[in-house]
Amino acid sequence: MPQGSPEPRESKVRQPRDTDRDANRDAARGAAREADLTAIDSLIDRLVPALTAKLGSTHLGELEVREGDWRIRLRRPATAGNWNGELRRSSDRAGRSGASHDAHGGTRSGGAASTSADAHRVPTPGGSNGSSPHPGGSQPPRPAHEDETRRVATSPAVGVFHTGARSTVGTRVRQGDTLGHVDVLGVREDVLSPADGLVGELLTQAGTAVEYGQELVVIALPTSAEAVR
Amino acid sequence: MFRRILIANRGEIALRVLRACRTLGVEAVVAYSEADRDSLPVQLADEAICIGPADAKRSYLSAPALISAAVITGCDAVHPGYGFLSEDEGFAEVVRAHDLTFIGPSADVLDRFASKEGTRRLLGSHGLATIPGSDGMLRDDSHALDEADRIGYPVLIKPSAGGGGKGMRMVRTPRELESAIRICRSEAKSAFGDDSLYLEKWLDDNRHVEVQVAVDRFGRGIHLGERDCSVQRRHQKILEEAPTPALGPAARAELAERAVRAVVAAGYENIGTLEFLVDRDGNAYFIEINCRIQVEHPVTEMLTGIDMVALQMRIAAGEPLGLTQSDITFSGHAIEFRINAEDPAHDFRPGAGIVSRYHAPGGPGVRMDSHLYEGYEVPPFYDSLLGKLIVWGPDRETAIARGRAALDELLIEGLTTNVAIHQALLGNESFLEGHMTTNLLDRVGSGAFLAAAARA
Repeated sequence: MPQGSPEPRESKVRQPRDTDRDANRDAARGAAREADLTAIDSLIDRLVPALTAKLGSTHLGELEVREGDWRIRLRRPATAGNWNGELRRSSDRAGRSGASHDAHGGTRSGGAASTSADAHRVPTPGGSNGSSPHPGGSQPPRPAHEDETRRVATSPAVGVFHTGARSTVGTRVRQGDTLGHVDVLGVREDVLSPADGLVGELLTQAGTAVEYGQELVVIALPTSAEAVR
Repeated sequence: MFRRILIANRGEIALRVLRACRTLGVEAVVAYSEADRDSLPVQLADEAICIGPADAKRSYLSAPALISAAVITGCDAVHPGYGFLSEDEGFAEVVRAHDLTFIGPSADVLDRFASKEGTRRLLGSHGLATIPGSDGMLRDDSHALDEADRIGYPVLIKPSAGGGGKGMRMVRTPRELESAIRICRSEAKSAFGDDSLYLEKWLDDNRHVEVQVAVDRFGRGIHLGERDCSVQRRHQKILEEAPTPALGPAARAELAERAVRAVVAAGYENIGTLEFLVDRDGNAYFIEINCRIQVEHPVTEMLTGIDMVALQMRIAAGEPLGLTQSDITFSGHAIEFRINAEDPAHDFRPGAGIVSRYHAPGGPGVRMDSHLYEGYEVPPFYDSLLGKLIVWGPDRETAIARGRAALDELLIEGLTTNVAIHQALLGNESFLEGHMTTNLLDRVGSGAFLAAAARA
């Protein structure tokens, strides 16, 4: 079963004990290497298909399994379609607890400060919204900043917004160009331009916590003169 | 206690958890899909955050979206409600890995009780009688036929994963078995991603009785009595009540005590429900455990005065129960009617639409847990539960009388609801005598049941 606890399970691939270490060191190295290779083969054969299926069925972003000295981690990329598997020794602690957790720490502190302004819906006890909810509208509303001269790129996910090289005001972009990304627990979800045009104002500052569908970047549509040119 | 929690669910249970948060002084952030933007829990929450589109796979079933939402809104715990990811040990584990508390059993406990077949064996070894069943999962048709012969027909095919009646079929002959297994496998595969099936002996005229337990992190457990959920339609509960008319006071207490002893010994933690089938002679067989808050928890709240969601949160926060068994007293009788957006006249076809008028009934012993309001548009993407009407009385007769009055008073316009089936039940002789079994509706069919009630 998926295992994410920080303490590795006791190794099943036994290393020789200290007392007979000297005599057996060389033999043990060879044996350990053999065992490692066998372990890798076995993990790949048995676990990768099962893990891929599990990851697919759970819609989790990442799964990790440990067995013996080995652990295997599958991460779903932001854009579905290809899979990355990582195989490394448990003693290599940098992977999971390093990179991704630091990112989360950053997200948390960055988010807490900025959330109130952007992802926050003002509570309305007794307010007009609370007492007379407006009907209908399961369709997402058209972004407020859109009109016939401009479109708005919205957030593809809930996370922290980061700008990219193409999000500088005035940059000419094509529909589908990446304007930046939203960091979802260390996984990038690209923010795509909804149209050809020029990058206008940023509606959300970089580093801000954003919700799904939040308006991020204005794209000014080309005027007819520009379109001809 | 937690400072701020993410409610990772929708509808009436999101509202119910929000209410528990308010009484505990905990801030509540409601995670919602685009289809629930105008929902009542979103409007009442301290903060609400859109986590994805209407498709539940990309919102309420998306662990990354939910956890990311919890992290950026500064929550320290996640309440999964029921359904969706509420019993998903993978989700519980990932929540924990992000230094958040999963309000429910830990991933290890969920894992231990994940397989229904494994749980039957585990709790069987701790003193609960179980229904005779297959030895492990069914390997193939010939294994299934052999096992069914050994157990004796009729048998019930059940999926190892999931619930809600999907992948379940009762068969009376070997001829039916093979085709039913094929259907169950494909239903279970598409509903739960797991087509493992097992067999149980089918008990004709059985009753469904479940025991509510609560176990804290220190291994101290209590029970909060039982609920009778015998009134079902195709394995879906539609009405629940307590105490069960199937058992006398001594038998009820004995069953509940045996249940809590078994789960404590098996290492369970947090609140949970043990489901039993009770046969004609009053023998109770354990069938499965639900590791979450249940839809029908208000029935227990009405009898005991205990806020089950608050209790669940306290246990998850690591607090001791603070209650012993002798603190739990049971008073009167309670009935819950599940009010669904479905049409009993058309095979319970689910509906959606705008609630044009809404009035919730009131009066002594009447409680309505619902997220409806006038003008609310019920989205078509999720389950059809509109709310739960719960009535309490000092005895069963009074509860039934209050139930009749409350169902008549309940007003929901703009949608077809199943209120008629509840009104028919309250006129049904078997129900009034307390003799209902799980096949009460399916035996004659809901249409015939309604027609009979209309003639009476």
